[in-house]
Amino acid sequence: MSDKPSRRQAFDEPLWWGLFSAGGVCFAVFVPAAILCLALLAPLGVVPLDAERARSMLFSLPGLLFVGAVICLPLFHAAHRIRHGCFDLRLGHDGVNKWLTYGSAASLSAAALTGVLIGMLM
Amino acid sequence: MHPNERLPPLPRSWWLKHRYFIAYMVREATVLPLLFFAVCLLAGLIALLRGEASWMNWLAFMGSAPVLLLNGLALAASLYHAWTFFQLFPRVMPLRIAGRPLPHQAVVAAQWAGVAVVTLISLWLFMGGAR
Repeated sequence: MSDKPSRRQAFDEPLWWGLFSAGGVCFAVFVPAAILCLALLAPLGVVPLDAERARSMLFSLPGLLFVGAVICLPLFHAAHRIRHGCFDLRLGHDGVNKWLTYGSAASLSAAALTGVLIGMLM
Repeated sequence: MHPNERLPPLPRSWWLKHRYFIAYMVREATVLPLLFFAVCLLAGLIALLRGEASWMNWLAFMGSAPVLLLNGLALAASLYHAWTFFQLFPRVMPLRIAGRPLPHQAVVAAQWAGVAVVTLISLWLFMGGAR
């Protein structure tokens, strides 16, 4: 895999940058509240979150939007920063890293959105 | 842009040589605990699909000390990211109201107010406000 810029980069970079940017907004505005409620207050028992309540909240249209804003877009933001961080530290090859990072973000996002859709159909 | 063949490669420790570069790398690294949190949520989603017992296991996992610690770090990282990101916005997109430039502090404060509103609405929702 070559590290030379290819002609194709000019076409796909705005997409990655757009996803990075949208993910950055979500990371700053929605993620702090999500971490506070779901990863700190719920496991500590401050916020009631039994399976039935979690299902009714998550497996819905707002749940789908929540997953997009708190999982999918932040994953693309993370992918972009990890790719560029690897480049800054000269780890691996950018051509490969690009596939690995954005590919992982896309796969995990697809899994999360599919999960919500399955939950809505169940 | 990316690869530059005209310059000799920098040593991997280049960013340790100046505090601005360190701050840059710390900001880049804020996505690592974010990634952990996102994967936790995805695991929770799968647990919820698998049923009641899996969901309780997931809650117990989330309540274990190392996971709470990592997610606490993720919260701190998200706020640090927000702090850097909000300062960027008025510089990238200076706003004007009736021809007058809006002070940067006002734009930054408005964004923090947005975070506060989102957090309060989330707390209200999770505390059972929408039932």
